[in-house]
Amino acid sequence: MSSTRFDKFWEIYNSERLRRGLLYLVLIVMVFWILLPLWAAFVTAFKSQQDLQTTAPYQPSPSPTLEPLRATFEIMIRPLFNSLTFTIFATIFSCLIGSMAGFILSRIQFKGSETVFLLIIVGIFIPYQAVLVPLFLTMARLGLINNLLALVITHTAFGIPICTLLFRSFYEEIPESLINAAIVDGAGIWRIYRKIVLPLSTLPFIVATVFQFTNIWNDFLFGLILSSGINAQPASVALSNLKGSQVALWHYQMAGTLWYSLPSLLVYFFLGKYLMRGFMTGALKG
Amino acid sequence: MENTSTSVNIRNLSVDFGNTNAVKNIDLLIRRNELFVLVGPSGCGKSTTLNTIAGLIKPSHGEILLGEEVVTDIENGIFVRPQDRNLAMVFQDYAIYPHLTVYKNIAFPLETRKEDRHNIKQRVEDTAERLEIKSLLDRRPKQLSGGQRQRVALARAIVRQPKVFLMDEPLSNLDAKLRVNARAEIKKIHESINATIIYVTHDQIEAMSIGDRIGIMNKGILEQVGEPNEIYNHPVNTFVAGFIGDPPMNFFAGELVEEDSTLYFKIHDALFKLHHTFKSNKGDIIIGIRPENITILEEGIANSLQANITIMENIGKEYIIHLELPDSTIAIVTVIPEQAENLKIDQTIWLDLDGARAHIFDASNGLNLKDKMK
Amino acid sequence: MLMPAIALVGYFVYVSIIWNLVVSVSDWKGLRPSYNFSGFGEYLDLMDDTKFRTSLTNNIMLILLFVPMSLVLGLFMAILLDQHLKYEGFFRTIFLLPFTLSFVVTAYLWRWMYNPKQGVINMLLRNSGLGFLAQDWVTNPDLVMYSIVFALLWQFSGYVMLIFLAGIRSIPETQINAAKLDGASGFYLYRRVIIPQIKSSSFTAFVILMVFALKAFDFIFILTGGGPGYSSEILSLTMYEEAFAITNFTTGSAIATIMFFLVMLIVLPYLHITYRRKN
Repeated sequence: MSSTRFDKFWEIYNSERLRRGLLYLVLIVMVFWILLPLWAAFVTAFKSQQDLQTTAPYQPSPSPTLEPLRATFEIMIRPLFNSLTFTIFATIFSCLIGSMAGFILSRIQFKGSETVFLLIIVGIFIPYQAVLVPLFLTMARLGLINNLLALVITHTAFGIPICTLLFRSFYEEIPESLINAAIVDGAGIWRIYRKIVLPLSTLPFIVATVFQFTNIWNDFLFGLILSSGINAQPASVALSNLKGSQVALWHYQMAGTLWYSLPSLLVYFFLGKYLMRGFMTGALKG
Repeated sequence: MENTSTSVNIRNLSVDFGNTNAVKNIDLLIRRNELFVLVGPSGCGKSTTLNTIAGLIKPSHGEILLGEEVVTDIENGIFVRPQDRNLAMVFQDYAIYPHLTVYKNIAFPLETRKEDRHNIKQRVEDTAERLEIKSLLDRRPKQLSGGQRQRVALARAIVRQPKVFLMDEPLSNLDAKLRVNARAEIKKIHESINATIIYVTHDQIEAMSIGDRIGIMNKGILEQVGEPNEIYNHPVNTFVAGFIGDPPMNFFAGELVEEDSTLYFKIHDALFKLHHTFKSNKGDIIIGIRPENITILEEGIANSLQANITIMENIGKEYIIHLELPDSTIAIVTVIPEQAENLKIDQTIWLDLDGARAHIFDASNGLNLKDKMK
Repeated sequence: MLMPAIALVGYFVYVSIIWNLVVSVSDWKGLRPSYNFSGFGEYLDLMDDTKFRTSLTNNIMLILLFVPMSLVLGLFMAILLDQHLKYEGFFRTIFLLPFTLSFVVTAYLWRWMYNPKQGVINMLLRNSGLGFLAQDWVTNPDLVMYSIVFALLWQFSGYVMLIFLAGIRSIPETQINAAKLDGASGFYLYRRVIIPQIKSSSFTAFVILMVFALKAFDFIFILTGGGPGYSSEILSLTMYEEAFAITNFTTGSAIATIMFFLVMLIVLPYLHITYRRKN
């Protein structure tokens, strides 16, 4: 009898263990796959010209140097500052406007409110190419080419749809009784928004801010079209130019890449879970 | 249908979640073919126990046997997966598959076990007929009412003749009216299919009405196991006494007094005669007496308790009178409508307690001090 | 309160789209604006243009490769992460990381990966004795689109995984428990109970991937610029070149309009199905 118990024990212990082991193995392989390009870029950014010849691209330098980082920092400091500026402003504006729009569309049922909502949501999906020429012409007419203001306006406008969606789905969760209580107490729309809804909006604001910051910071196309001049370049455009002027200077290119991705990486590691929520709300409806 | 049911034997079962002991050292034998109810307040560990029997949770230590088969034995490393235990479970939210028709839902466990197709059709239809949902076989869950969904969940459980049926608060999502009928139906089903059923609920009325035997749990501990009558009339401690019975038992602080070799319990200055012997005559005691065992007197007599009527609830067949004693103790008494006509709020009345039906509990640990009568 | 949103979106989206359409059928040449109606000549010319046709073909190839593979890989990764792992949060963070990076960054990373002489992949292969497998990943016209798809898979799989994982997790646990007691386990459980219920997640992921594949620009622009030759040229690149490099605004906006309609072909049914339920 004790041998049957023993056999049964090992059977279960082994097959479960084996499956779990295999699972983790596959996962580790995938982690390597994901991290490899990042690792290679990281170690390359600390290499000297000589290291590039003598070491494999995925091998760290035996004597790392900060030279590539220093040199690219000089090139990129202004564009990084530019990006930071318009990203912050556009994030704030699109979140605020999206919050107001999301609130109205979640609670006020006027005729065509669903239609207005859908029309705004379409803005999330449109290919920017379809509005690129008019956008350029508009900014040219306003004299805003190579001016950060153009990017602030553009990113605000194109950030509104996703912010509206984020805020609306969040505001739909606010119990109707809460709003009704305020109405019975005599509060008008603005008051309800300021005194009740806004204080409850910490979470969606964080999610929207993190989401918008990442998206706007990562943008390239608008920067390329509207602001590629040397003074008002966003960091993404500056980075793309790195490959042109520094052919085969991989360590400089990777260093530039590190500088540029630093803010979004920081945001991701500290506020990543909010970003994930943003991705999921954008994706899951109904 | 052949009878495949078994007993369930639980020995020294404990379940810990991190630092919390959800279930503490439970020993329980559920007999074959009995309808056993596990009842207790929220968080007492009853659902955890049920899930552990099902194999959905692995306990920290203990043994579970289904009939002769050991399905869980932590100390010896035995753990049979839930898939292989041949148990059926009905959940509070029914958990039927929304993407499948009623037919497919009921057939699912049979198809999973690769039963013969013709056989499946026969059994699904028979079971559906038995539960009166044969006409719904082509529908999808979202087209059904709550009561119908519940029957689909039941059908899915019955169709494969499991060893034991586990039911986790299956009626909690139904309207109060439907619940009474559903309770009767479950009892009927139990009788017709002769199965072992372990039923979990927080509703003590439900427990009392359908259980062959009841187990009362509180904070992970199994307080008492027995037939409904026994639990009602011989609760083993104040928790069980206060939990079972609606309206709940009244508790008074008092002492035991012996006079002329007769035992009395004394509340304030009133003495009430007892008819039983008790384990200990000393120390503080708590007297428990049910609402129906207290009489309201409009005029005081010797050895009665004065009280003030605070609330009168008319529930049709009787009145529930809430009273407050001078020391702020609250008491509840039930009276028939005829007597209630003479009573009104704020009226001062006197309470006579039936000593023969009183329960005496040790104030320090809540245990019932009654010696069993020989 | 709704006004700023309506004003900005209305102008930058809707007015612009119409304006774009108008430009595409205008007689604008060079840098001086001109808005006389000049017929649909642009569109007809595009149909005959080999560069455009290659561009369109490449785009379709991108879609046919990228979308299904992303869905399968994302679903696979979601199922892996659904196994009640101890370090699930860790894995999730790592897998999603590429998606939070700018396409410019990704392009640089993969330029380094794909470089034929010194790049990571070829060097890895050579240093482990598999040098014969080394390829001209992005300089070989026959391989370049596949290399692009692979890199995009790297970037997107975590995101698709997230969408599927959310869908899988939205199934009530009691249902999974019921299925287990019914005897279902492992692959069978996923096949018959879980996967059939994640239709809306699949649809969402599908639409997002499709739309991306149609409008992708940044990554390919920096990685290959459309080359070698036109072998990795796609619609968005062609549009950019025509409108802003060659300043053929009419051609550029015609391509843009075509892109717009292709995207709407997918998005409108999606929005209709998703939001029809609300009413």
